[in-house]
Amino acid sequence: MKILVCLKQVPDRESLIEIDENGRGGFRLPGQVRAWVNHFDEFAVEEAVRLKEKRPATEVDALTIGPESAAAVLERAVGMGADRGVHILAGDEGYRSPLVTARWMAAYAVKQNYDLILTGAMAEDDTQAQTGPMLAELLDMSWATFAVSLQVALNGLTATALREVENGFQEEVFLSLPAVVTVQTGINKPRYPSLSNILRARKEKPETIRAEDLPLAEAGEELVAVRRPGRTRAGIMLEGASRDKAVRLVEILKGKGLWP
Amino acid sequence: MEEKRPLVWAVAELRGGDIAPVTGEILACAAEISRLAGGTVRAVVLGREVFPAAEALAEQYSVDVTAVENQYLADYNGGLFKEILANLAERSSPDIICLGHTSRGLDFSPGLAVRLGASCLTGVEKAAYQDGGLVFTRPWFHGKLAADFRPLNHLTVLTVQSGCFKPDGLDLGGGRVESEVSKVVPDRIRAGSVIKARNSASELTRAEVVVAAGRGLGKKENLAQVQRLASMFPRSAVAGSRPVCDMGWLGYASQVGQTGSTVAPRLYLACGISGARQHTAGMQSAEFIVAVSTDPNAAIFNVADVAVVEDVNSFLPVLMEELEKGRGL
Ligand SMILES: Cc1cc2nc3c(=O)[nH]c(=O)nc-3n(C[C@H](O)[C@H](O)[C@H](O)COP(=O)(O)OP(=O)(O)OC[C@H]3O[C@@H](n4cnc5c(N)ncnc54)[C@H](O)[C@@H]3O)c2cc1C
Ligand SMILES: Nc1ncnc2c1ncn2[C@@H]1O[C@H](COP(=O)(O)O)[C@@H](O)[C@H]1O
Repeated sequence: MKILVCLKQVPDRESLIEIDENGRGGFRLPGQVRAWVNHFDEFAVEEAVRLKEKRPATEVDALTIGPESAAAVLERAVGMGADRGVHILAGDEGYRSPLVTARWMAAYAVKQNYDLILTGAMAEDDTQAQTGPMLAELLDMSWATFAVSLQVALNGLTATALREVENGFQEEVFLSLPAVVTVQTGINKPRYPSLSNILRARKEKPETIRAEDLPLAEAGEELVAVRRPGRTRAGIMLEGASRDKAVRLVEILKGKGLWP
Repeated sequence: MEEKRPLVWAVAELRGGDIAPVTGEILACAAEISRLAGGTVRAVVLGREVFPAAEALAEQYSVDVTAVENQYLADYNGGLFKEILANLAERSSPDIICLGHTSRGLDFSPGLAVRLGASCLTGVEKAAYQDGGLVFTRPWFHGKLAADFRPLNHLTVLTVQSGCFKPDGLDLGGGRVESEVSKVVPDRIRAGSVIKARNSASELTRAEVVVAAGRGLGKKENLAQVQRLASMFPRSAVAGSRPVCDMGWLGYASQVGQTGSTVAPRLYLACGISGARQHTAGMQSAEFIVAVSTDPNAAIFNVADVAVVEDVNSFLPVLMEELEKGRGL
């Protein structure tokens, strides 16, 4: 069986963001930004590696789209047990429409005959949750989203997923492969990369494809402005040393009748 | 020549044959878009034995409804939804298709958009008319920013964030139901059973004070502080964000948010939680919200009454001391 798992590098959640004065969509992440693997995608990689462990002749490719620095997430995926990395090298142009992401992925995947493609349920930074189902449509595959469990049949032709839905319910879905499955957190416990795998990852460089060499993909939407969201409540920011803040907070709670 | 008035679809959600509450919000968003763009709204509802729900919908919101009956839709099937809506859209040419920002809406809308050559926007919180076109606002960058997006295609498929468009008193000036039967059969996706997998902890939904732990706690051992703080309040409970439950620090019955419990206590104290929409969906109606995070720009502060920028692990002990001191004063 051939599996593709897609993972995205996202900026540290605590990155400072500077918005351009004109508000026309420009923004910067000043200073040294740490970057990590999108939380959801670690679960997708783990799921792929587990499937490989259950079925000996399984190959797992890990794909990322991003600037040079994004190669780090491929190292992590191979460190966790993926066989090889594929890097679609694209400039760090700020906003990328999920349609462009999905089209580039499809342009690569269409030639590879994958039985199963795993993505995260959503990217933490842009929270679109679109890439997986778009990829399924582009490749004419079946799909399931928000999987909290995934079983592939012994014959490798079908899979059963449990999708997490609202109010504590889960829906069972039977899929004919090939399929795209988007993975929800909690489906497994992602492992730490092993030393021997990390060494292998460093030795075997990922296959690199320049985005310019892929068929032109047009965005479905453009980003026209960014701003800080409005506050829905008063949002008093407490000032001073921690002790001062604690004292003030206790006063506020007493004032509200929330502390005796 | 006069331009065609934009046609805005609101795709209803049913649960067990009844209209789900989110449907009102989808209609309210469609109505707002239609008002901005000078268009008309039509509700679309798919299901098995769908006509009673379609009639109820038409009556409740005075909206024209297209009902599509399909015998395989007793349970949700993403493949059928995508196929049936794509067929219908190709025949009736809507300009905007509004869906719920739900596990269903999100399941098939991106693929539907690709099929129809449409733009796709998920989690829309606001619509506006700017420079001769519609612009939609959605959260971005871990919810720290609000971003405006302009669709670039003739057709837009969007999902409506709940809590943003109010359906109260909505009257769309129609009420006719058109119905058709779809013969599409399930192909490579089949629905199985629906399982109730999790229950909310009853002490959580009843609690007057909820102290919630997030990934910012760093490690499981630090949860003890949160538990100790909660135990200082009567009728209190400890809750967690999803990652905290995924890591097994707390059971899933304690998870607050879109896929956990919805709570509305008198006091919600968020400790090391960033404030993703999926989390705030479960706690934004709390009477009073206090949030502690090291990140001054965390989205949780946008829904908080009191914001404390501190390391939660060093702040909670100080807070507990001051609470003790302040008791009865
Ligand atoms: C379909 C779907 C459903 C979901 N349902 C839910 C749901 O029901 N509930 C839910 O919670 N999530 C849900 N999520 C996940 C959600 O998107 C977020 O990933 C999650 O809420 C993040 O949890 P968090 O805030 O604890 O962690 P993070 O986002 O990692 O935030 C940690 C915060 O703590 C701060 N911090 C770090 N160190 C410290 C410190 N020492 N002291 C103080 N602060 C610190 C950080 O700055 C940050 O603000 C869902 C996602 C999807 C796609
Ligand atoms: N640049 C990228 N590189 C690799 N995978 C990506 C990229 N962007 C999105 N994905 C995948 O698509 C999923 C959903 O992303 P999104 O649709 O942006 O929320 C992520 O969890 C990843 O698995």
